[in-house]
Amino acid sequence: MLLAVFGILASGLTGYYSYSSSRAMLLAAAERDLLTATRVLSRNMLVSLGAIGKDAKLLAVLPRTTKILMGPNSATAEDDTKVVATVFKAMLSTHPEYFQIRLISADMHGLELVRVDRDENVLTRVLAGDLQEKAHYPYVFESLRLKRGEIHLSKIAINHEVGAHSGLNKPTLRIASPVIADDGKPLGLIVINIDLDSLFALLKADLPAVYKLYLTNELGDFLIHPDPREAFGFERGRRTLVQDAFEPVSAVIEGKHETIVMNIDAARKQQNRLIAAFVRLPLGDTAAKRSVIIGLSQPLENIVLEATRLGRYILHVVLVFSGLALILAAMVSRAVTRPLNEMVKAIKNFSKEKVISKLPLGRNDEIGLLAHSFHDMQMEIMTHLSELKESRLILEHTAKHDPLTGLPNRTLFYDRLQQAIIQAKRDKTSLALMLIDLDEFKPINDTLGHHIGDLLLKEAANRMCDCVRESDTVARLGGDEFVVLLPLIDGQRDAMMVAEKIRLAIKQSFNIENQYLITSASIGIAVYPEHGCDETQLSVSADNAMYLAKRGGRNRVHLCQN
Amino acid sequence: MAGMGRQFLSGQAHDFLFINHALARTPRNVLFESLNASAPLETAPYPDHRLFAHAIRHFIHRLITALIVFIILCAPVHAVETLRVLAWPGYADGDLAKEFEKRHNVHVEVSIVGSDEALQRKIGANQGGDFDVFAVNTAELQHYIDDNLVVPLQLSNIPNTLNQLPRFRNLHGIPGITRQNKVFAIPYTYSEMGLIYDRKQFDAAPTSLAVMWDARYQGRVLAFDTSSHNFSIASLLLGGSPFHIDEKEFGKAVEKLIALRRNVLTFYTLPEESVELFREHSVAVLFANYGRQQFKQLRDAGADVGYVIPSEGALAWLDCWAVSRGAKNQRLAENWINYMLDTSVSRELTLRQGLSNTIEPDPLANNADKIIWLEPVEDSKRRTVLWSRIISGDLPEKLLLP
Repeated sequence: MLLAVFGILASGLTGYYSYSSSRAMLLAAAERDLLTATRVLSRNMLVSLGAIGKDAKLLAVLPRTTKILMGPNSATAEDDTKVVATVFKAMLSTHPEYFQIRLISADMHGLELVRVDRDENVLTRVLAGDLQEKAHYPYVFESLRLKRGEIHLSKIAINHEVGAHSGLNKPTLRIASPVIADDGKPLGLIVINIDLDSLFALLKADLPAVYKLYLTNELGDFLIHPDPREAFGFERGRRTLVQDAFEPVSAVIEGKHETIVMNIDAARKQQNRLIAAFVRLPLGDTAAKRSVIIGLSQPLENIVLEATRLGRYILHVVLVFSGLALILAAMVSRAVTRPLNEMVKAIKNFSKEKVISKLPLGRNDEIGLLAHSFHDMQMEIMTHLSELKESRLILEHTAKHDPLTGLPNRTLFYDRLQQAIIQAKRDKTSLALMLIDLDEFKPINDTLGHHIGDLLLKEAANRMCDCVRESDTVARLGGDEFVVLLPLIDGQRDAMMVAEKIRLAIKQSFNIENQYLITSASIGIAVYPEHGCDETQLSVSADNAMYLAKRGGRNRVHLCQN
Repeated sequence: MAGMGRQFLSGQAHDFLFINHALARTPRNVLFESLNASAPLETAPYPDHRLFAHAIRHFIHRLITALIVFIILCAPVHAVETLRVLAWPGYADGDLAKEFEKRHNVHVEVSIVGSDEALQRKIGANQGGDFDVFAVNTAELQHYIDDNLVVPLQLSNIPNTLNQLPRFRNLHGIPGITRQNKVFAIPYTYSEMGLIYDRKQFDAAPTSLAVMWDARYQGRVLAFDTSSHNFSIASLLLGGSPFHIDEKEFGKAVEKLIALRRNVLTFYTLPEESVELFREHSVAVLFANYGRQQFKQLRDAGADVGYVIPSEGALAWLDCWAVSRGAKNQRLAENWINYMLDTSVSRELTLRQGLSNTIEPDPLANNADKIIWLEPVEDSKRRTVLWSRIISGDLPEKLLLP
């Protein structure tokens, strides 16, 4: 059980850790990707602006451009303007992101001399009466301060210049290059108006659709925002600043960082959590102050979705491993706990009933070792026990039998006698008690030695046993005194017959170690119930009878006479 | 100052005289400020008792006590009147409103408004029934009088008007404040649009708006990108009324503005922009749409500049307090106006917002200065359309075509 808990806990923790770390990794990777994409976008923008700048420079150095500016009222001016307008048109037609190309004079209050506008799908050359004076626009007076070949990038603003055709009221960036006379005097300038939206549409074309684009000026005013209402807020009297929406960007605006990537996970309470990267992009070669901030954002959900998918996968793995842990725990319990339980049962069995139960002896591990030890111990105990039992049996036998003849001794005999009397009393039967004394035994013992005497006693005992029934008991009381119990006799005659049989058996000579010895037996008989009701009376009666037999001359049987 | 000049470029029909008026004030990011004098909810400290039941009983007892105290404290507040004020950022700061609450034993609820349009919406919403007193400029006030959304004031209830500068005491001299001898508003704060000039480039301070047309300063003049004011100035210079250009005079005004276009460096919109252009392009003179605040900004940026009110007069917006027709207690609303004209309160406005008040003379201002309070113009839409063509650079021949 504990094992299972540990297993599940371990796999759960591992799962959680790998989920959170891979989520963080996914986030970090997404942030890195986003920052890279933003950097690439900025680079591409710089490249595009550079290319546009080159276009402006190219137009500015056209000989006819200078010629028009030098003599706007000369005879050839009309032709020259036509040619230049054609060039403008050609350039506009190859660059859909150009709104307008103009040649503006430094004199005549910045009068436009050649101007081609995009008007929906048509390129329109604006003719003399409709040309306008632009000297008061910063892109004019700032450009005229530049040297030949330099580029002016205007602030990005909504173009409110009336008559600008497609470009009217559109976010516009103006890129200008001055036309300088050989003496260094500024004659005019070439201005290309760029459609900010289509420029970025081009730049953004390769990016994944989920990436949202932001562009702000150096102060943080949104110029491009996924929600068009948020862009150019200052035009509507309500500034919408990137640092309000993405607070960390203020570090970029203040110039502390060039790039920043952030995770608007917790920072904003809005539901659309995202990650965003912002890169500051300095514009123009001269006015280093001008810069834009390009940003890309990606909804966090996309990344979190992946992390969630991963999390779900990890959850599956965790569940599988938890299952495995459970199975493993079950198997371990089968392999370890069950044999242990079996052994406990076996030990209980053994200690209770001294039965040797089956033990897992076939194993080679610690459990097997334990089982083997236990088995050995069991066997040893069993051996000891049987030895003990044996010696106890011997002891018991010794206590109740005569060591010499193997006949029951006095203790056992009296016990049997008591039993027999109780039995006889209950069954109203008779029994006989015979007291046998070997005559003239002492002289044999004294002359021939105890050894011979003992052998004689043994043989005498054997003969007595042969004379009685199996249910009868022959016992040695000590020395040469024997006693016989005859239960269930029909009468005194039966006892007399057995006594006579014994007397005759003893009377036969004994061959003891090749010596023929002669002895005899004096036998006194007492019968229950005639000669006594209990063992004491019977014994006394039998003893008296035996005494009388001795007095009568030995080798005879005497029945107790009342 | 970051917010100065917000909302400026809106070339919409509502490019009224005062589009920028609200914006010249230092904005305070107060959107809605409710001043509630009610006592903070008394929370009974949890008693440390061993027996839980006892603790609970004790707690409930305390809670009930606290509740009763709360109700008792709240009761008089709810019983007292509430004055509903609608003001521009910085006009009725919390501490000032609290002081009024104390003095009059009332509850003041200040709502903040950020544009003329929002003001019109809020006052117009319920026939003025949602607010008692509000701040509005003189030109905008005309709509409210026309729509019968404001009520005439009892000057005797506003004794502090007697302490106002002479220019503001003469209410009949301020167009739009009175109608049929009834006073509808009391001036509170103003800002005039003078000229800022580079003292290094002028031996003597310029005296006339005509300096902006002076060919000597060609390319060193900064004008403001606005239709109404520019037409007003042109008309002034042409000897006409700034706010009512006759049909036949329009062509002359346009010509005048084309001449201006040809003489200026550029037309700015934000005060920060003017500071930058001033520095980078050795500007000699600029039209200070943001008044003294802008002058101060330039000086703070290190420019050696002077500020003059031209002899033709300086256009100026003037914010007043007016009482809404839906006011529950006109007397209380008038008390509020009177309180706003307290020297201490008006001084705070100047200290905190840098705006001129009507009680204490501006040390830089001269009583003889001609101030032209803004009024609605004859046709703001027409001015806007023409102006957008002028600034776009249309040639005179094209512009003046019938």
